[in-house]
Formats: sequence, C-alpha cells, structure tokens
Amino acid sequence: MEGGLRRISETSFKALPSMSCNSTRNNDPDQQGGRFNSMDQSCFSRPDQSFPAFSPLFGVQSSSLYLPDEKIGNQFEPNSSLNNPAVDWDPQTMLTNLSFLEQKIKQVKDIVQSMSSRESQVAGGCSEVQAKQQLVTADLTCIIIQLISTAGSLLPSMKNPLLSSNPAVRHLSNTLGSPMGFGFSCNQQPSTNNEATIPEITKTPDYEELMNSLNTTTPDESDEPMKCQNPCGGEGSEPIPMEDHDVKESDDGGEGENLPPGSYVVLQLDKEEILAPHTHFCLICGKGFKRDANLRMHMRGHGDEYKTPAALAKPSKDSSSEPAPVTRYSCPYVGCKRNKEHKKFQPLKTILCVKNHYKRSHCDKSYTCSRCNTKKFSVIADLKTHEKHCGRDKWLCSCGTTFSRKDKLFGHVALFQGHTPALPMDDVKVTGALDQPQDSEAMNAVGSIGYNFPGSSSDDIPNLDMKMADDARYFSSLSFDPCFGGLDDFTRPGFDISENPFSFMPS
Amino acid sequence: MSEEVQRYGGGGGGVGALSLDLLGQVLDRVREPRDRKACRLVSRAFARAEAAHRRALRVLRREPLARLLRTFPALERLDLSACASLDDASLAAALAGADLAGIRRVCLARANGVGWRGLDALVTACPKLEVVDLSHCVGAGDREVAAVAAATGLRELSLEKCLGVTDMGLAKVVVGCPKLEKLSLKWCREISDIGIDLLSKKCPELRSLDISYLKVGNESLRSISSLEKLEELAMVCCSCIDDDGLELLSKGSNSLQSVDVSRSDHVTTQGLASLIDGHNFLQKLNAADCLHEMGQRFLTNLAKLKETLTVLRLDGLEVSASVLQAIGEGCNNLVEISLSKCNGVTDEGISSLVARCSHLRVIDLTCCHLLTDNALDSIAENCKMVECLRLESCSSISEKGVEQIAICCPNLKEIDLTDCRVNDAALQHLAKCSELLILKLGLCSSISDKGLAFISSNCGKLIELDLYRCTSVTDDALAALANGCKKIKMLNLCYCNKITDSGLGHLGSLEELTNLELRCLVRITGIGISSVAIGCKNLIELDLKRCYSIDDAGLWALARYALNLRQVNFLQGFSYPLESSKEE
Repeated sequence: MEGGLRRISETSFKALPSMSCNSTRNNDPDQQGGRFNSMDQSCFSRPDQSFPAFSPLFGVQSSSLYLPDEKIGNQFEPNSSLNNPAVDWDPQTMLTNLSFLEQKIKQVKDIVQSMSSRESQVAGGCSEVQAKQQLVTADLTCIIIQLISTAGSLLPSMKNPLLSSNPAVRHLSNTLGSPMGFGFSCNQQPSTNNEATIPEITKTPDYEELMNSLNTTTPDESDEPMKCQNPCGGEGSEPIPMEDHDVKESDDGGEGENLPPGSYVVLQLDKEEILAPHTHFCLICGKGFKRDANLRMHMRGHGDEYKTPAALAKPSKDSSSEPAPVTRYSCPYVGCKRNKEHKKFQPLKTILCVKNHYKRSHCDKSYTCSRCNTKKFSVIADLKTHEKHCGRDKWLCSCGTTFSRKDKLFGHVALFQGHTPALPMDDVKVTGALDQPQDSEAMNAVGSIGYNFPGSSSDDIPNLDMKMADDARYFSSLSFDPCFGGLDDFTRPGFDISENPFSFMPS
Repeated sequence: MSEEVQRYGGGGGGVGALSLDLLGQVLDRVREPRDRKACRLVSRAFARAEAAHRRALRVLRREPLARLLRTFPALERLDLSACASLDDASLAAALAGADLAGIRRVCLARANGVGWRGLDALVTACPKLEVVDLSHCVGAGDREVAAVAAATGLRELSLEKCLGVTDMGLAKVVVGCPKLEKLSLKWCREISDIGIDLLSKKCPELRSLDISYLKVGNESLRSISSLEKLEELAMVCCSCIDDDGLELLSKGSNSLQSVDVSRSDHVTTQGLASLIDGHNFLQKLNAADCLHEMGQRFLTNLAKLKETLTVLRLDGLEVSASVLQAIGEGCNNLVEISLSKCNGVTDEGISSLVARCSHLRVIDLTCCHLLTDNALDSIAENCKMVECLRLESCSSISEKGVEQIAICCPNLKEIDLTDCRVNDAALQHLAKCSELLILKLGLCSSISDKGLAFISSNCGKLIELDLYRCTSVTDDALAALANGCKKIKMLNLCYCNKITDSGLGHLGSLEELTNLELRCLVRITGIGISSVAIGCKNLIELDLKRCYSIDDAGLWALARYALNLRQVNFLQGFSYPLESSKEE
C-alpha cells in the first residue's frame, strides 16, 4: 500500500507519519482482544440462552474463527513487501480451516434438518423457529467468513486476477441492498423458512469489511472495534455511491478554477488504487476505504491529532476551523493533460474525478449497452445513464447519428450544413437486439444460482468449498468484491487491470 | 371591357388579327374573372391568348384539373384551396406530364385530402415553387411539411393550423428552404423553443414570422432577436412570453416594423417600452387585449415612434383623457387606432386624440359606452380621411352624429353601428357615403324598409350588410337591396322574422352573394331557398338554423343548383330543436 501512492508536496506540506508505522501496531493485544469480543457480540447477540445445547459450539466456533485470522495476519505481515504472495500459502493451515468448515457445516445442517422436520409437524412455535434461524444465520456467517479467509489466503496463489475486476461482482454489489448486519437483518425481517434468510446474509457487505480487516496489514485492523460496535451499518456506514452521476459532470472539469500552481497539494494515485472500488480516501496518503468510519480509524496512523475522540467521532458539519490544505489530483497516465508532468497540467478536483477520468480516458470501454450493442462505456454509471434512454425516443439525423434528446439533435443539425432531422418513418428503424441477454445479466444469473447453495439443499454443502476453490465466479455471487479490493495489494503483481480485465467474459 | 370585346371579337376577324402577346396584355388588364370568361367564350383568339398567357388558376373540381394544367402552360399561381375532394392520387395524376415549370405559388389551404405523397409530386413537378400555403390543413404533419421542404427555393410558407407539425417538421423546412422570408406557424402547437431556435439559425432571410398561439417562451424571442432582417412578428396569444422576452427581443437588430402581441397575457407596458427602446422604427404595434394599465414609460416611448407609428391597437386598456391626449401628441402619423373596450374613453379624450391625428383612417371605438355625438363631431371635424369607423354598442350616439360623419367623411367605406339604436334618419344621412362597402346595423330594431331604401338607392358598392335582428325589415327592403346593391356578397338577415319566400325570391338576383345567414326565419320554405339556390350561383356558406319551415325541396334545390356551396348550417326539424348539424 505504501508503494501504491506517491505523495507530491509542492508546497510545504507537513510531513506526516508514513503508513509503515501503522503496521507496527498491528499486534497490539488489547486491540485484538477488543475486536474479538465485540465480534462475538455482533454475531451472537441473540437469545441463544434458550439453546444451551449449542453454546459449546459457539465457543469452538469463535475460538477457531481466530485461528485462520491470526494465521492470515501472520502470513500477510511479511507479505506487505508484495514480493511473492504464492509462497505464503500454507497447505497445513488450509487443511485445518477446511476441516473446521466441514464440522461447522454439519452442525448447521443438523439444526436446519431438525427445523424442517419440526416445521412439517407443527405450524406454531414461531419464536423458537426464529431463534433457530438466527442461530443458523450466525453459524452460516461464521462459515462464510471462514471460507473467505481461507479462499483469500489461497487467492494470490490462484493467480486469478479477474476476481477483483469482475464487473459482475461490482454490479452485483451495487444492485444488492444497503448494508445490513447479519443478525439485525434477520430480526427485522421475520421469515418462516431458511431459504429466505440466506440471501439476506449473502447480501450483507459487512463481510467485506470484515474480510478487509482480516486480510490487510494496514491499520484497517484498528477499524475493527468501530465496525463491530455498529455491525448493522445503519448510520455508521454510508450508502455506497457507486453511481457518481453528480460528479460526472465535473469529472473532467476544473477548467473553471484557475488555481495558481503551487497553491495546492498534488496527489497522484496509482491506477490500481484508482480502479479499486473505494469511495473514502485518505487525504494524506490516498488509501481508499469503503466506509468513512474505517477511514477515520486509518487516520489514527497518521498522527496523534487523529486519535482524539473528537476526530474519531462522526464528522459534524462545522468541522475544524483549521482549513485543510487545498488538494488536487494528478492522473497517473503519463502524457495525459491531467498528469502533473504535462506542460499545461490541469489538476482534477476530487478523487471521484480521478476515478472517472481515468476510467473514461485510459481504460477500455468494457460496458456495452445490451440494447443497441454499439455504445460502449468504461464507467458503469455512464452505461446506466445511456441505458435509460437507449432505444427510446431515438432522435435521428439524416447523417445517421442518433441522439437521445431532441435538443441535442437540433444542436447537431444547427451545426452542420445540410444535415436534417430524419423523421421516424423515413428510414429503416435502427433497433438494437433488445432481447439479447446481457453478459452481466448472465453473470447475475449465475450468481443467483449460487445464492441457493447454502440452504436450498443441504447435500450441496460439503461441496461448497470445492466450488469456491474451483470456480471463482461464486465469489461474485456473494458480492465479496470489496474484500478483493482489499486484496488488491496482493493480487497486483499478478496482473494488470487496465489491460483487459474482462477477457474471460463472453463478448 | 367585355362588351367592347364582344363587339369586335364576335366576328373573329378584328381581334384575331392581333398577336397573342397583345391579347394577353389586354386580358391582363381585365380584372373581373367573369369578364375574362366572357372574352374567352366569344373569341377563339382570346381563348388562345388566355391559354398562352394565363398566370393564375383557381380550380373548383378535381376532375378537370389535369386538363386545365395542360391548357395553361404559363401558370404561375395555382389555387387548389377550393378544389373539392382533392386527394393525393388525383393531384399526382393531374401533375404528371403537365409542364409546371412556371408555377411559383400554390395554395392548398384546407386541402385536407392532400398528404405527403401529393405534396411530394407537387414539389417535384414545380421546380420554381416559391410560395406554398398549407394553412388549415389540420391533418398535415411532419411528413407533409418534409415533402414541402424539398422545394429549396421556397420563400413563403404558411403552416397555419397544421396541427401535426412538430419541431421535426419545422427543422426539415428550415434546413431545406434556407431562403425562407415569410413563415406562419400559427396554431402549430407542437413547436417549441428548440424549433424556433433552429429556425433563427438557419433562415437568416426571414422577414415575417407568425408564432401566434404557440407554447413557446422567452427563449424563442432570444433566438428570434438574432434574425437581422425580421420586419414583422406576430405572437398573438403566446401566454409563455412576458416582458423579459420582449426585453430579449429588443436586443436584436433594429429591423422590426410590425409587432403583434395581442392577447399575450403576460405582456405589460414595461415590456413594450423596452421593445420600443430596441426597435424605434416600429410602424404597427398591436397590443390588443393584453394590457391593463398604462405605464408612463410606455407612453413616453410611444412618442419616440412619432414619425413611423401608423397602427396602434390598445384594446382593453384602461385609458384616460390625458393618456389619449399624450398618444395624439406623440403619434401624429397614426392611420389606425383601436380603443375597443377601453374603459375611460370619453368625448374629451377622443377630441384631444383626433385633434393631432388628422391622418386617421380606421378608428375602432367598439364598446366605448361613454361616447356621444360630440365625439363623432370631433372625428368628423378632424379626420376627413376616415374610412372605417366601428361604433358597436356606443348606445349614446344618434342620427346627428352620424350625419356629421356622413357629411365630412366622404371616403367612409365601413361603419359598424351594431346596437347603436340608430334610426331611418341616420341611414338617410349615411346614404350620402356612396363609397360604403360594409354596413352593420345589427340589433337596430328601429330600422325599417324606409331607411334601407335610402341605402339601396345610393350605396351601390355595398358588399356586406348586417341586419341581424332588425325585426322591422320586410320583403320590400330586400327587393330594394336586390335592385340597388348588386355587389352584396355577405348578407345577414338572422331573426328578421318578417321575411318570407318572396323576399328570398328578390335575393335570387344577387349573383355575387357568397354568405347568407337566414337563422330563425320561420316563414321561409323550400320555395324561397330554391330561388336563392338557383339565383345565387356563388353561394358558399348558408345558415339555415331554426328555419323550421324548410322542407326537403329546399335542400334538394341547394344540392342541385348551389354548386359552390361549401357549408350549410341547418336543423333537421322540430325533433332536434337544440342540435345543429353541418353539411359540407
């Protein structure tokens, strides 16, 4: 991560503690302990007293949960040098993890079986069923966490670079619901069978947070207490603004402002960082986070002033009186006008501008409109904007150019001599193959099949880990992408996102 | 002229010796179509000359169209607006093979049967087309207009009430016809600011534009202000346009000569004042039914137009004597002023207005209830040129005032005395105005045959007479009219319920009659209608509502003889007393 960002201080920008110092605090025992406790609370804060028979299991479960965690932490610590991730994989650890999973799945299976048999006999006992559901939910959560951590440790060695850049993954994570806590979501939505609850679980992006923390060496670990105190994400986590429509306009903007060179700090992020699906960025080092809370935890590593309770609390509107230094961003693409080396360098205003600019200007346009099959976009928000209008109210010019809006067509006609609007019946209708299934939709379909595996048939469960290992696509169904975004550091050496991230997709 | 031609052309020798060119020159100077027809009929030479030289043609039937187009190769103006049941197929067939290279003007008003195929054929056949009138082709849409847009030399186009035309059709026209000078988009409600903007960019030659009844806003006026040659702009009833728009319009080149903002609710005198700031050569300003209060700035700005302003319409404005005086002092060259329904118009105001405006020819004082004979006296004294005087509902005037007007204004062509309670004596005075063309006497129930006898004997040029609810009028008056006013084209006899079939028999001698209203003449029957149908060959519109005594024989006669009839309003009998149906 430290290598992921170069900070250029054009002014006398105060040097801040570099990130490396954060990793030294990783093993603070107090923090770790606090984290575990609170995670227990988050996972099992439910009336499990009524099921005393299961309580020992929890102990096993929670203790064993730490096992891989610590391992991962250990294995990743040397890994921060980013040299050879494959070497770090320990088959012994994996084996331990898998056996634990097997055991765990069996337990869940038993509970579910008992529930299904009871359900067929008595319709009543609603509260009991609910409690059991929560139990199952919690257990499944643990299983999944375990699975991911296991798979995550495996990931670099798989040398499969596609996971983190899979558009379907991102798409899925966008379309799925708002962040919800596991137990919380179940309580809120009483459902009468297991299958209904399980998709809820799979939706919750909080795993991603968890996994982020489990798999990174950066001060993310210190995020944990924060997150677990607020697992359901209600107010602690911002809705993820993946569609920055508002920002789009000003993306390549900045023309309006004429900051004299030197009056602002220029940050330049690496392309990998730009392409990672983060939305909260550290103003000092540029590292991205999915949640503001995580960012605030991260900020503690930059100095004592960020450790105060006030700094850790949610920022209020009337923030510090001390004005933050004006920061502008540089595009990492050398030769681009937005690159700081360019003669007429025009900085980008925000990180979102950087992201959209980089994707639009220097990445392949990989999102193809499924309706017209011609328009391509590199930013998915652009595709969605286009799809809203595509195929509807085609405004066509005699030259064959189509427009989504009449005033655009008229502007075009006004500009070019001899061009005239074509009346709808004048020409053969240009209709896209509307019914052709979209690639990403196909991916989603795969994903939705994937949803069913934990609960629909318990026979499948033993195969679960197999699948996870075999077919990377199942990750996409679980919307773990931020997790892999967090893993970017480790997957980075294996591939180059910008080249052709979607080569595996049928085109 | 026709008699002369008959005398020489009858033998065929004398006229036939003249060259076709000369005969053509002669024919060009024969104004009346009927006279020209007479020439054609009596001499082959004239017929040949007419065939070679005829410039204009108005066709009433579709069947002879093809033959006519071949007969007259020099045609420049083709009027198909009255051509019954013209459709694409018949138009295309008639155009095929005819030499129409000379045709410059085509009128297709109300030709609802003609669609884009017919227009396509027309435009292809007439390469020099310059003027096209599609007004009231309510079915016409973008495709029809697009077909017209293929005429690249088009200079004038009327799309009035072509309801289907949208911005797309307009865009076709403005791209296809860059030389457009005159364009009417009245009632094309689908056209928006975007279309007007494109029009302003693509047709820099535009001189006259009508955007009345459109839903366009101030943005359109911003675009229009870029038209440097625009002289005439009509925006009647554009409720989305307000003072800001007029302000934008005033920024353009100082070319506007005529502006019509009547019934545009959101325009005030402020906007008009700023408009005058930018366009100080305005000749016509029509602000009827949109202003409510007079603003001082507007009044002072009006004075800036002293030299140029000739037409000013301020209907519905609240005025005072001082305002009228200021207008009179500021605008000496006014030729026409309309103060219809203006509150506060008094004798004093009118006299101070007309004192400085001696050029006034048209004065509209409709519903200025306060006016008396004194106002008419001052008009008669100062405005000797008055041609048109509208005094409807000025109920305080009497025959004395009318007498003054009749004595001092020999050029009077039109006077509206509806609901003025004038009597036969007033008509006796009016009969001095031998130039009178239009006379409206509706609701003057004291008028009798005696008064109309004076009119009939002296006003031989009368073309329009309104006797609505003049209940004292009888058949004798009609006999006198039929005898003295042969040129009458429009006659309103509604509710003159003393009229019988014999009166209609006299009307049968009015060959020029085109519009006849006979509503609620309960005594007339099929016999009277038959004599009208047989005699009035040019009858176009006939109102027979609530003429309960008319039977099938009358309608049969209409169908048989009134070949030019286009509209009849009638009631089928007592069984549907409130319902009227329309036959075309």
